[in-house]
Amino acid sequence: MGIKNRLKAGIQKNLNQKYIKKLLGIIAKKPILYTYGSTFSSVSNKYLNIFTIESLKDAYSDNSHPVSYGSLFIPYEMLHALGITPFLPEVMAGFTAGLGIAAQTIKQSSSNWYSQDLCTFHRSASGAVELDVFPKPDFILTTNLACDAAQKSFYIYSKKYNIEKNFYLIDVPYECSKESLRYLTGQIKNICMDICLKSGRKLDLSKFAEAINFSNEFRKWAIKVNDIRKTLSYYPPYFNALNYILPFHVLAGTDKAVIFYKYMYGELKKYLDRQPKKKPDKKGAPKRILWLHLKPYYRSEVFDILERKNSIVAFEEINHVYWPELDPLRPFESLAKKMLSHFLGGKIDNRINAILSHVREYKIDGAVLFVHWGCRQSNGGARIIKDSLKKIGIPTLVLDGDCVDQNNYSHGQTKTRMQGFLEILNSKT
Amino acid sequence: MESSDTLKNKINDIQSFFKNTLSSTDSRPVVGWFCTYTPEELIISGGFTPARIMGNKKIVKSESYFPINFCPYIKSSWESLLSGTESLGAVVFTNSCDGMRRLYDAANTYLKHIPSYLLDVPHLQGEDSVVFFRDNLIKMKRFIENTAGRKIGEKEIENAAVLINKKKRLMERFSLIFRKSPHLIYISTYYRIMELSITSEPHTFTDDLGKYLKFIEESYRKNRSVLKANNESSPRVMIIGNFITEKKLWNMLSAMNLNLAADDLCISNRYFTKQVETAGSPDLLVSLARRYLTKPPCMRMADLGLKLKEIENTIRKNNIQSIIFISLKFCDTVLYSFPLLKESFNKMGIPVLYLEMEYNNFPEGQLKTRIQAFLEML
Repeated sequence: MGIKNRLKAGIQKNLNQKYIKKLLGIIAKKPILYTYGSTFSSVSNKYLNIFTIESLKDAYSDNSHPVSYGSLFIPYEMLHALGITPFLPEVMAGFTAGLGIAAQTIKQSSSNWYSQDLCTFHRSASGAVELDVFPKPDFILTTNLACDAAQKSFYIYSKKYNIEKNFYLIDVPYECSKESLRYLTGQIKNICMDICLKSGRKLDLSKFAEAINFSNEFRKWAIKVNDIRKTLSYYPPYFNALNYILPFHVLAGTDKAVIFYKYMYGELKKYLDRQPKKKPDKKGAPKRILWLHLKPYYRSEVFDILERKNSIVAFEEINHVYWPELDPLRPFESLAKKMLSHFLGGKIDNRINAILSHVREYKIDGAVLFVHWGCRQSNGGARIIKDSLKKIGIPTLVLDGDCVDQNNYSHGQTKTRMQGFLEILNSKT
Repeated sequence: MESSDTLKNKINDIQSFFKNTLSSTDSRPVVGWFCTYTPEELIISGGFTPARIMGNKKIVKSESYFPINFCPYIKSSWESLLSGTESLGAVVFTNSCDGMRRLYDAANTYLKHIPSYLLDVPHLQGEDSVVFFRDNLIKMKRFIENTAGRKIGEKEIENAAVLINKKKRLMERFSLIFRKSPHLIYISTYYRIMELSITSEPHTFTDDLGKYLKFIEESYRKNRSVLKANNESSPRVMIIGNFITEKKLWNMLSAMNLNLAADDLCISNRYFTKQVETAGSPDLLVSLARRYLTKPPCMRMADLGLKLKEIENTIRKNNIQSIIFISLKFCDTVLYSFPLLKESFNKMGIPVLYLEMEYNNFPEGQLKTRIQAFLEML
């Protein structure tokens, strides 16, 4: 049994905080961590795993900085500037799937009266919170941006840990306007000041500027990575950019995000440089897929089927750099602008415009919209997205499934639907 | 003195008390709305009649637009918009939830001929949110003005606010009477009148409701000895949920003689509680913004703790002994609040029955059995 499987089996058997802490205490030690990292075939995956473990070690550490739970899309730059360690229950729910413990956490959430019709990212995270698997937070930050679920489940966590007064919802307005920018900027600033007051920290503007500069640097490298991917047809083995939620969101504002994307750029650049020499085989160049929404985070055949049918995921909408460069002299307003420019906020036209530009820029042949069970915000727009892509001749597969709960994944149906879709795609010249 | 049954029959005869409302020949164009955070006052001041979209009970086309696990009220509403069963001058949406945002997108994409507007309602309730919401109300006013083809004056908003205040005041009074005399007014009558309040021309409805209440109050005074409560010994129940409008459910609960002592629903208290401050208000839009942000909240608002406290107060104030929690399926904001509510009810020692239902397919037999078993257990 390899090291990864041993880790997995250990956690499955000992699903508790004490064991996780012990495990992190061993594996997060530098030489072991880098040895573990080097078991991954690509450089980007190596650093993804190293940074993830380091981030978890900080969150689970007893004597470290205050910990804040955060949902996706909140301004992590602010937390890094304040020296607060972020911990993402939604991302950890993805881990519960990968580690094969989602059945336990989801079962626990059902015992706590979470309806089976709710998003499994939140159900699994809620179950883990109830099982005391996650570290105890000092603060909880969430937003209504993109979906309703986090703001509700995160409030319940605040109640569980008796920190309702340290629960903050960043209320992102529907539209980007002068008024909404003012409203949102005020909120972020007030939250920052309140956290400073409660944690006894002083806001260091130079640290804030440093976090903003790191964020801009990461943004620059992420754009460079995306630019390469516009023409890249062959990827390193096991490369899957649907895994990069942690560096893309949580590490924004740290040097780690910069390092990660720099390495990824270097790695992909090598592949791009080799590409012209590599002649397409008899099947021709791979079909280029645009992946919409997320993916199953447990072992599934989805991407193997794509590979077997000579197709690649050329781009994922979650890796779209949607925000303008941040101004270190106006950090709160910049972070408000970043949140307001998210393509999942406001009208679905914002998402569709982004999708249409990806289709053009990444020379997309077809799109897969992964319909994660219980995700109303994404799935509710599936028909409009499909119709919009149809208008420009791009076929879309609306693929039902579940990112976290393997029991909601139908192997046969997924295979049949994907194969059918890819056959249509490959029959097109 | 009339017999108890004769009087009860009279009081529950909605057709006769609300005949003007039911046969209204109001020719003003209708502006449809979906959520209790929609200020009807602005719609009325533009010369329109506000009416909540109730949706088609039969779904045919709508299924192909939304996923299977999507809010059934939204699907029903979309069906009615698609089939054109409601002749609408315009539609006002709110960003109340993910589903409602996608419904607005669908209307914007596939029904471009119907003027539509999405009102951005903050999730927070502080003064900054009031200021922000006021800005959004100005935008909504502009939309109504563009649809009407004329400007809306300050006086028109004030008149509309006075009218809606009067309607909501009467509804609060009606709700109080109903809660004090569940033996007098059927549950089905109560909710039928609630439904009329959100779907009818407001002047006519308010007049009819005023007359109706006067009749009940006079009858009650004259016949106090005849009208003895026959379910005083049965447990005092509170219903908590979202947009529950199922007639068969209300009829069923009426037939069970359920002692409904309080509710927390979109069709009831979340709609009518609290009025707009009009007297001496320097800015009516601020008053409107404040009223809508501080009315009994929907679970969509950020502070679930505030909602929990409000429900706990209602339970104590009305001496509630059991709860029926009933939600439309796939309503995330309400379903996510249940674990929190359940924990609180457990601490208070109050039993709760958890039900989920469709909007357009009522499993009468199944629910009847579950409710009966629950009541028997009490």
